[in-house]
Amino acid sequence: MTTQERNTRPLLFSASGITKSFAGTQALKGVGLDVAPGEIVGLVGENGAGKSTLLKIIIGAQPQTSGSMTLHGQPYEPRTPMDANRAGIGMVFQEQSLIVNLNVAQNIFFGHENLFKSHGIISWSKMNRAAQEVLAAVDITDISPSTKVSNLNFATRQMVEIAKVMDVTKRSGAEHCLILLDEPTSVLNEAEVENLYRQMRKIADQGHAVIFVSHHLDEILHITDRIYVYKDGSSVGDLDTRDATEARLYEMMVGKGTTTEYYHLDRQTVPSEEVLLEVRDLGIHGIFKHVNFQLHRGEVLGLCGVVGSGIEEVCEVICGDERPSFGEVVIRGESMRFSSPQQALAKGVLMIPKERLFEGIVSNLSVEENIALSNAHALSRGPVVSAKAVRRQAEEWIKKLRIKTSGPQELLLQLSGGNQQKVVFSRALASGAEILILNHPTRGVDVGAKEEIYAFIRNMTEEGKAVILLGDTVDEYLGLCSRLLMMKDGLVTGEFDAPADGKPSQVDVVSLMM
Amino acid sequence: MSTKNKALPGKRAILDNIMEYFSFSAIIILLLALSLTQENFLGEINLKNLLRDTAPLMIMAAGMTMVLLFGSIDLSMGAVCSVSNVAFVHFMLAYGESFGNPLLAGLAGLAVSLLFGLCSGLTLGFIHVKLKVPSFIASLGFMSVWQSVALLITQGPESMKKALWPATDWYKISFGVVGLPLVLAIVIILLVYLLTRFTAFGKAVFAIGGNERAARVAGIHVDRTKIMVFALNGVLAALAGVFLAANLRSSAPTIGDPFTLKIVAACALGGTSLAGGKGSELGTILGVFTVAIIENGMNFIGVDAYWQNVVFGIFVLAAIALTVDRRTRGQIIK
Repeated sequence: MTTQERNTRPLLFSASGITKSFAGTQALKGVGLDVAPGEIVGLVGENGAGKSTLLKIIIGAQPQTSGSMTLHGQPYEPRTPMDANRAGIGMVFQEQSLIVNLNVAQNIFFGHENLFKSHGIISWSKMNRAAQEVLAAVDITDISPSTKVSNLNFATRQMVEIAKVMDVTKRSGAEHCLILLDEPTSVLNEAEVENLYRQMRKIADQGHAVIFVSHHLDEILHITDRIYVYKDGSSVGDLDTRDATEARLYEMMVGKGTTTEYYHLDRQTVPSEEVLLEVRDLGIHGIFKHVNFQLHRGEVLGLCGVVGSGIEEVCEVICGDERPSFGEVVIRGESMRFSSPQQALAKGVLMIPKERLFEGIVSNLSVEENIALSNAHALSRGPVVSAKAVRRQAEEWIKKLRIKTSGPQELLLQLSGGNQQKVVFSRALASGAEILILNHPTRGVDVGAKEEIYAFIRNMTEEGKAVILLGDTVDEYLGLCSRLLMMKDGLVTGEFDAPADGKPSQVDVVSLMM
Repeated sequence: MSTKNKALPGKRAILDNIMEYFSFSAIIILLLALSLTQENFLGEINLKNLLRDTAPLMIMAAGMTMVLLFGSIDLSMGAVCSVSNVAFVHFMLAYGESFGNPLLAGLAGLAVSLLFGLCSGLTLGFIHVKLKVPSFIASLGFMSVWQSVALLITQGPESMKKALWPATDWYKISFGVVGLPLVLAIVIILLVYLLTRFTAFGKAVFAIGGNERAARVAGIHVDRTKIMVFALNGVLAALAGVFLAANLRSSAPTIGDPFTLKIVAACALGGTSLAGGKGSELGTILGVFTVAIIENGMNFIGVDAYWQNVVFGIFVLAAIALTVDRRTRGQIIK
């Protein structure tokens, strides 16, 4: 739909002049957004640009500081997500909101059990049948409504969540609904993403509308009608998707026009002969076995595999979080049996964990304290940790990694995801560990911050550190690693050298993973 | 935090300050109300009593604050205090005279009591951390065990022989209205404050309270830190037991029981979050004085002993409901 067409039709939803400030920092600086019925609107921008904040305001999970919203031309002021649902707006959150110890049907109809109640007793069979229909409406037929959510994998949960939100909004009775999707595809496989696209189209064709947030520009270009680009809490502009290209969007988002050298390939180091870490016949009963590899100084070794291949567990063993059932981990020629990550750190091994929020940061401590988490002892004089040294260290890293924060004393929970991840990197680099295990270091991080993180990884190997990488995409593995180890179902299936001038093909790598 | 509060708009800032200084304002209001209505409340004798009786509570609250800071709780402190109390006097009765010097005997008794506290704390910490039993239920079990052990050592109060009284004379030393016990207790709590604020150990305690999993992955000695805090906590509970024995020159097997609620109340009134990660020993000092003034005030006015716990319980609930930090949206309280 073009701009002219849009202007002739009444808007389904409109927001104007929305601002939001958190304790001094402005997350949104007066943004607007219009959505017409039948439209799929994309929302792109770096982490911290304010996309998630705007969605949370629309769904009523947070109040705006100023600005107004209208729905069907009427003022719209949701105080809770329930209000939004009743008005016909539903949202699939970035973090999942299903209750894992209930089953699928109970989750879909959570809070609406009365529909199936007679004489105070809920008819589970009736609820299951209704849930089946809800799932079928989004073309999911392979999940039983009576399965406990904890038994489903992450991707399937996401589809259940989408089905649930679509049902909730439809039930509101509003003629046209609005569905907000906050990075719904990050954990879905290709077929599931395809199905999601189909569902989004179907919804739009019925006159409903979708706001779609994603870090994957190809997805945005593929599915949306119109795209808003946000940067630092302001809207840089909106454009019809047919006029947009990946390069143009990227340029608008980061303000620089180049995607080349994304992975800083020219800085890929040639590993030295010195072996820092060796894994010999490592295994955990029932999860993985017979894993052998060497890690050299200056090397980025990619462990490739799908969920369940055992790569995560291999890393857990190396960083001391899990004990192996057999085999050994040899560090600089010395055989180790770590019983805690603390012991691994003492030998120079540290992991940057995958789940930033749950494993990476202490959100109610300050930036400086988070950075000093792994090396408080090194900053001590006698028994006392020097507050000055902690401050100086934080200031140094804030400058070096360009962390956006009001200062070393800001609480970590007030930083955006990408900047929190930079704090985690600062901590890992400050710890002095030589062997770093990066477990999905760019998950949930925007394009600009991703590129910076890639540069940090190059810095590490230039300084003579060694890196084990678990990446998000095959592209990332190929771009960053100097060697790749493929695993499938707990066994190593192959190994490729990947020098800067001779990367293996994606097909070869994927064929050994799947 | 105080700088941040200033940045908030007026009404919110006032509210936040009320919360932050609740204990402080409660002390002022209570003191004003009691001294205006009760003659001699601020008289030397009562003031001396009030301040001296505060010492054991202060010592135990110092330990409990640390435990709460990393999100656990120790309900066995009162019972450990009882056993230590009984053991100290029992030891003095049995072996005190064989030392020749009463001071030496006192030190030996102290060592026995503290050793017991250390072992109790270490065991509790080990059970909680290594066997992964929640601290609430593990310490509740310990509470039951030590309550009985105290009664097994002696069913009734035992008094120290007059010959050994010099071993406890230090307890009666005072500088004006401030007694030596209170001075010692404040020194102890300040030491614990320094420990939690300025050492790597203390940083670890806060990190564990904020996010235990992240602390572990970051390479912090999570298990060791927790066990050490429980051990220190046991020692402090035992020390409080010796203080109580020195005060009365006799023991009572149930003397520590009423302390359990008072310790938690003092910490909570002092602003330490029961969910971990937030709080300070300095706040606890104010919390301890608040609890002490409420208690002393009720005695002074002559509130019936059976009603005192009703009043106290209600006051604690009201105070915590007023001061609890509700600013975090969607915070889950279990």
